[in-house]
Amino acid sequence: MPTSRPASRRILVSVAGAAAAIALTACGGVKTTSSGGGDGEYPTGNIEFSVGASAGGSTDLITRALAQGMAKELGVSAPVLNKPGANGALNAKELQSAKADGYKIAVQNASLFTITPLTVSAAEATKIDSFDVITGISRDDYVMATNAESGYKSIEDMKKAGKTIRYGTTGVGTGAQLASALTFKTAGIEATAVPFDGGAPALTALLGNQVDVSTMQIGEAIENVKAGKLVPLAVFSQERIPYLPDVKTAKEQGFDVLVTQYRFLTAPKGTPENVKTKLLDAAKKVFATPEYKKFNEENSLTPMEVAPQEVLTSLQNDSTTYKAQLDKFGISLAG
Amino acid sequence: MDISPILDGFGVVLEPANLLYCLIGVIIGMLIGVLPGLGPGATIAILLPITYGIGPVSAIIMLAGIFYGAQYGGTITSVLLRLPGEASSVVTVFDGFALAKQGRAGTALGIAAIGSFVGGTVSILALTLVAPVVAGFALDFGPPEYAALGILGVLLISSVGNGNRLKAIIAACVGLLLATVGRDTFTGAERFTFGSLNLAEGIDFIPIAMGLFGLSEILYNLEERHNQVHSPAKVGNVWPSRKDLGQAKGAIGRGSLIGFVLGVLPGGGAVLSSLAAYALEKRRAKQPERFGRGAVEGVAAPETANNAAATSSFIPLLTLGIPANATMALIFGALLIQGIQPGPQLVTEHPDVFWGVINSMYIGNILLLIMSIPMVGVFVRILRVRPAILAPITVLITLLGAYTVNNSAYDIYLVIVFGVLGYLMKKFGFEPGPLVLAFVLGSMIENSSRQSLLIFGGDPAGFLTRPISGTVLALVVIVAAWPLIRKALRRKTPDRVEEKIT
Repeated sequence: MPTSRPASRRILVSVAGAAAAIALTACGGVKTTSSGGGDGEYPTGNIEFSVGASAGGSTDLITRALAQGMAKELGVSAPVLNKPGANGALNAKELQSAKADGYKIAVQNASLFTITPLTVSAAEATKIDSFDVITGISRDDYVMATNAESGYKSIEDMKKAGKTIRYGTTGVGTGAQLASALTFKTAGIEATAVPFDGGAPALTALLGNQVDVSTMQIGEAIENVKAGKLVPLAVFSQERIPYLPDVKTAKEQGFDVLVTQYRFLTAPKGTPENVKTKLLDAAKKVFATPEYKKFNEENSLTPMEVAPQEVLTSLQNDSTTYKAQLDKFGISLAG
Repeated sequence: MDISPILDGFGVVLEPANLLYCLIGVIIGMLIGVLPGLGPGATIAILLPITYGIGPVSAIIMLAGIFYGAQYGGTITSVLLRLPGEASSVVTVFDGFALAKQGRAGTALGIAAIGSFVGGTVSILALTLVAPVVAGFALDFGPPEYAALGILGVLLISSVGNGNRLKAIIAACVGLLLATVGRDTFTGAERFTFGSLNLAEGIDFIPIAMGLFGLSEILYNLEERHNQVHSPAKVGNVWPSRKDLGQAKGAIGRGSLIGFVLGVLPGGGAVLSSLAAYALEKRRAKQPERFGRGAVEGVAAPETANNAAATSSFIPLLTLGIPANATMALIFGALLIQGIQPGPQLVTEHPDVFWGVINSMYIGNILLLIMSIPMVGVFVRILRVRPAILAPITVLITLLGAYTVNNSAYDIYLVIVFGVLGYLMKKFGFEPGPLVLAFVLGSMIENSSRQSLLIFGGDPAGFLTRPISGTVLALVVIVAAWPLIRKALRRKTPDRVEEKIT
C-alpha cells in the first residue's frame, strides 16, 4: 500500500512521540542522581527518596510530604520512588548498598527492624546497623476496635463474654498482630487471629461484623470511630493518643502491652557528617511548617522528631521487649 | 430524598476550572491507559504533588478522571496489540483481538467505547440513587462470600476461550500454582521463592499478562512471518454497524448491571464482573462457538462491566472510607492531603466533594466518548504499520511499562520468561486466558477460604449456612451441572413434540 505508507509513518511517529513523552514524564520520578561531591557543596543534584511500600500507604504519604518540603528547603528536586516488596526489606537492601553520599535516602518503618525479624529467617532480617539514622519523624499508633453492635467497651468486656474472640490483623509480622496477640494472651482471652492483607480489608471485615475485633492504625479507623460505627477498645502507646483522648491505653486497663510503629529518615551507613547535618536541618525546618503539622494531624500521626540516638535506643528496647514477651507467653507470630 | 446537594454538585462541576481539570484528567487517563504497565495508580502517585496546589474538589475530579479514563484507554491495547493493562481487561482480549485480526478493530473499539459509556453512566446513576444502600451490601460480603465467588469465577473461566477444555484446565491449574508463590499471608512461610526477596511478595499480575499475551504474540508472529508472506492487516469499517450495535445491545445492558453490583465489592470485583458478564453472554448466545473468534458481544459485555465496576468501586471509598483497590488507596491519600477524611460522614461534612466527584463522572464519561470517536480511527491505523517496525516498539513499551510498575528490572526478566512460556503454550495449543484469570482468582480463593475457616473455628459447614455464600455455592453447582441439565431438557422436548403429533 504505497499511498498509505507515509500517512501511517506519520501516525506511528506521533504515537511513538506521545508514548515517549509520557515515558519521560514517568521517568521524572526515576531520574538518577547526579553524584555531586560530598564536601561542602551538598546538595548539587536530585535527592531521591525511596519508599519500601506502594504508593498511597502511610509510609508513602509521609515520604511525599517530607520530600516535598525538603526539596524546597534544599533547593533541589526530591523525586519519590516506590520500591514495594517484602515489607520494605527489598528497598532497605537496595538502600544499604547505595553510595553513601546523601543522594539516596529513605523513610523507614520501625516494624521492619523490630517485628519483621521475629517472623523471618535471620539472614533475611534487616539490621539497623546498615544505616545512618538522620532523624525520627512520627509515631503511627495502633488501636484495637470493635463493631458498635458487639457491645464491648473494653478489653475486660471481651473477657467477660467468655467466648473465643476472632480478631482481624493487618498481616503476619505487623505491629497490629503483635499488639493483639499480646493483649489476648496477657488478658487470658481465648482468641483466633484472622490475618488480612493490610488495613483496608481488616477494617472492612470489622465493619461487616465478620470478625469480633480488629487492630489497625488509628488513621484507618478514626473516621468510622467518629461516625459511631466502631468502638475503640484500647491503644497500645505509653500514654493516651491526642486524636482519641477518651480511649484508655492497654496499660491503663491493666495489660502490659506497648507496641508502636514509628518512622525515621535513614541514609546508607557512612554518609558524611556535613551531609547528615544538612538533611537534618532541612527536615527540622519542614517539621516546623504549619502545612506539615496539619499533615500530621490529618493522618493521626504523633510527631516523634527526635535525635538519631533516641531512635536507635527505641528500636533496641522494642526488639528486646517484644522478643522477651513472645518467649514468655510462648507466642509465635508465624501462624 | 433531598436532591439539592446533588444539584449543587452539578454547580460545582460546571465551574470552568473544574471542567478543565475533568478534561485534563480523562485525557491523561486515556493516554496512560494506552500505555501498558504505567497504570492509573503510578500516574496518580506522580501527579500527587500537583494536587497540593489546587482545591480538593478539583484535585479529586482530576484524579477520578485519570482512573476511569484509563479504563477506556486500556481497551485499545487489549484489542490492537493483545496487551491487557489490567486484570479486568483480560477477557476483552479474546474477542477484541480476534476482531482486530479480521480487520474489524474499529468495530471492537467502537463497541467498547459505547459499552464503556453506557456502563459508566448507568453505574453513576445507580451510585447517585442508591450508594448508601449498596455500601451496606458490600459489608455483607465477608471472606466466605469471596471464597465462594472465587470458585464461581474459576468455573466461569472454563467457558472462556474455544480451545480444548482439558488444556484450559491445565493452564488454569498452572495459574493457581503461580498464585501460591510468595510469602504466605497466614504464617509468613516462604513458598516457591527460592530464597529470592523479589519473589517474597509473589508475582505481579502485570508481568504475567504482558508476557503471556503481548510478548508471546510477537514471538509467535516472528516465526509465522518466516513461513508466510505478510500482508498488512485490513482496516475496514471504522465504526460499528447498526447490526453490531443491535447484537451488542443486550450484552451492554446486562454488563452494566453485573458491573455495578460486583464493582461495589472491594477486592476482585472488577475482574469477576468482566468474567461473569462474558460468561453470561456466551451461555445465552445461540451460537456460543462464535465467542473467542470475534463476537461483538464478547467485547461489549466485559468492557461495559469493567467500566461500570470502576465507577461503583468509588462507593466503598466515599461511603465507608475503604479503598477498594490500589488506585482508590491513592485517591484516599490525595483526599487526606487535602484535609478530607473519606468515611461515613463525607456526604454530610463535605457534600461538595461527594457530589462534585460523582457528578463529574457524568461529564467525564461524555468527554471520553467524544474523544474516543476520532481516536478509534487514529489508533486503528497502528495496525497498518509493518510488523517489523511495530513489533520492536511494542516490545520496548511493554518492557518499559513492566519496569515502571515497581521500578524494578526484575519485572522485565519476568515478562521475558512469561513471554517465552506464552509462546510455547501457543505452539502446543494452550490458551493464556485461563492461566491469567486463575492466577488472579487463586490468591483470593486461598486467602478467603483460610480466613473463613479461622472465623468458623475450622467448621466448613459455615460456607453453606451463610445465606450469600450458600447461594453462590448453589449457583456453582448449577453452573457446573448446566450442560447435563440442558442435555436432559433437550432430550425431553422432542419427545413431547412427538407425543403431541401422535
